[in-house]
Amino acid sequence: MPQIEIQDLTIEYAKPSSDQRFVAVGHVDLTIERGEFVTIVGPSGCGKSTLLLSVAGLVELSGGAILMDGKTVSGPGRERAPVFQDASLLPWRTVLGNVRFGLELQRWKQDDIGERAMRFIRMVGLGAYADYHPHQLSGGMRQRVNIARALAVDPEVLLMDEPFGALDAQTREVMGNELLRIWSRDRKTCLFVTHDIDEAVFLADRVVVMGREPGHIKEIIRVDLPRPRDEAVLESQAFADLRLRLRRHLAQDMASMRLVTEEV
Amino acid sequence: MLNTTEAANNKSAALPLPWPFSRSFAISLASVAIFFLIWQIAPALGWVNGRFTSQPSQVLVAGWTELGTATFWNAARISFTEFALGFALSLAVALPLAALMVTSKIARYMIDPPLMALYIAPSLILLPILILWLGIGMASKVAVVFLGAFFPIAVNTMAGMRQVDPKLLTMARAFGASRSRLFYSILIPSALPSLLTGIRLGIGRGVLGVIVGELYAAQAGIGYQLSTYGNSMRIDLLLVYALVVSTFGYVLTEFVRLLEVQVGKWGAK
Repeated sequence: MPQIEIQDLTIEYAKPSSDQRFVAVGHVDLTIERGEFVTIVGPSGCGKSTLLLSVAGLVELSGGAILMDGKTVSGPGRERAPVFQDASLLPWRTVLGNVRFGLELQRWKQDDIGERAMRFIRMVGLGAYADYHPHQLSGGMRQRVNIARALAVDPEVLLMDEPFGALDAQTREVMGNELLRIWSRDRKTCLFVTHDIDEAVFLADRVVVMGREPGHIKEIIRVDLPRPRDEAVLESQAFADLRLRLRRHLAQDMASMRLVTEEV
Repeated sequence: MLNTTEAANNKSAALPLPWPFSRSFAISLASVAIFFLIWQIAPALGWVNGRFTSQPSQVLVAGWTELGTATFWNAARISFTEFALGFALSLAVALPLAALMVTSKIARYMIDPPLMALYIAPSLILLPILILWLGIGMASKVAVVFLGAFFPIAVNTMAGMRQVDPKLLTMARAFGASRSRLFYSILIPSALPSLLTGIRLGIGRGVLGVIVGELYAAQAGIGYQLSTYGNSMRIDLLLVYALVVSTFGYVLTEFVRLLEVQVGKWGAK
């Protein structure tokens, strides 16, 4: 049985100040196996973030269903942990306090929380910064805390919405490598939204390409690059081919967008 | 934002220490000394009638003896209890109400207009009614303090909660946070700078409420003593009690201001 099943998923929003409804995601089907790393790419407005939020149980579905291990998802659950683009750290808590927060929310035993939080802070390389407050950290460090907070609650699925989207290119690459290193330890299922093609290919077992109006899946591309992956992968011919294929897809979308704007 | 600048101001003001004598400190000190000197010698020189003004030396002596009496401590205990109960009650009601108004539009539309109207009106308007309803004992004073402190706390907390980062709420919900958990783990800490501002304003109104309430109708308490000593022309004792009240209010307010500065540091980018 696949771990996550998205069946005929439709999500609509009421447009503000009008009776019209905006279809963010229309009739999407997707299945994700246990331990799979799936990235989702697409132009802005293709509903990729909405799709992820719906798996997190934070969005009301207009149609279809999402199943986790065969059971219908009706809200957030402790088997799914979020890592969003904004690190969303509590500014009044230290690094340690922030990583503890997820554990506290999921009612881990009080005796274990501190030790466990520290273990994951060390895992993301911030052992020396446990007592720092978020405003004292760089963007990359904050994202590390964000990731540590999600990993610490021992979820089965990590839901990542452009977690490195606000970082500079270099930090982004480092973080991608780190994420793969951590992921390869226990191979938790990862659903990872990004608009960066290189990142999408580098991380994924499968890349889901989405299109706009309404948000739908255009293609799913299997990435058969060997693991563990490192910088050498980025220079391989196979990587270049996949990258080109994705670029063409997205370029098509950009072209249609341009047409739309010209009509207006 | 406000708190960050306030914190920054405090920092720069604190850097040149007032000791040893900076110019501004020396001037302040001199003006206070001159005031006490004139007050001390004015009755002796016949400028004013000492029966109405007393003298700093008399106040000092009166204070020394009065602060050791059971009369004083009994009055202080009663007034403080009224203040503490009323204040705790206003916190207990204002915080959940503020959260309700921030999370529910209907609640906001229902409660906002009367809340703002009562916030602007001095709550002492209701004092005669409260005395009628609750008698001249402690209950009516507790109610006055509650009304005085409630509105600044509720209004400021609400303003603070409206500033909450929605991304923090989304994150906490994704981790499975309950509504009550969102309230005390996200909403309250987010609103803490404004909440403290509300508390600081509430302290002033609460102290005023206790004293005026006791002056108006009471059987005991600091305000009652003030009224008694006023009637019997004990200006020295009256001033001792006045000093106690203002010291209490000042220390408490400054303490909260210090907390505000600490809390403001979180937001420092």
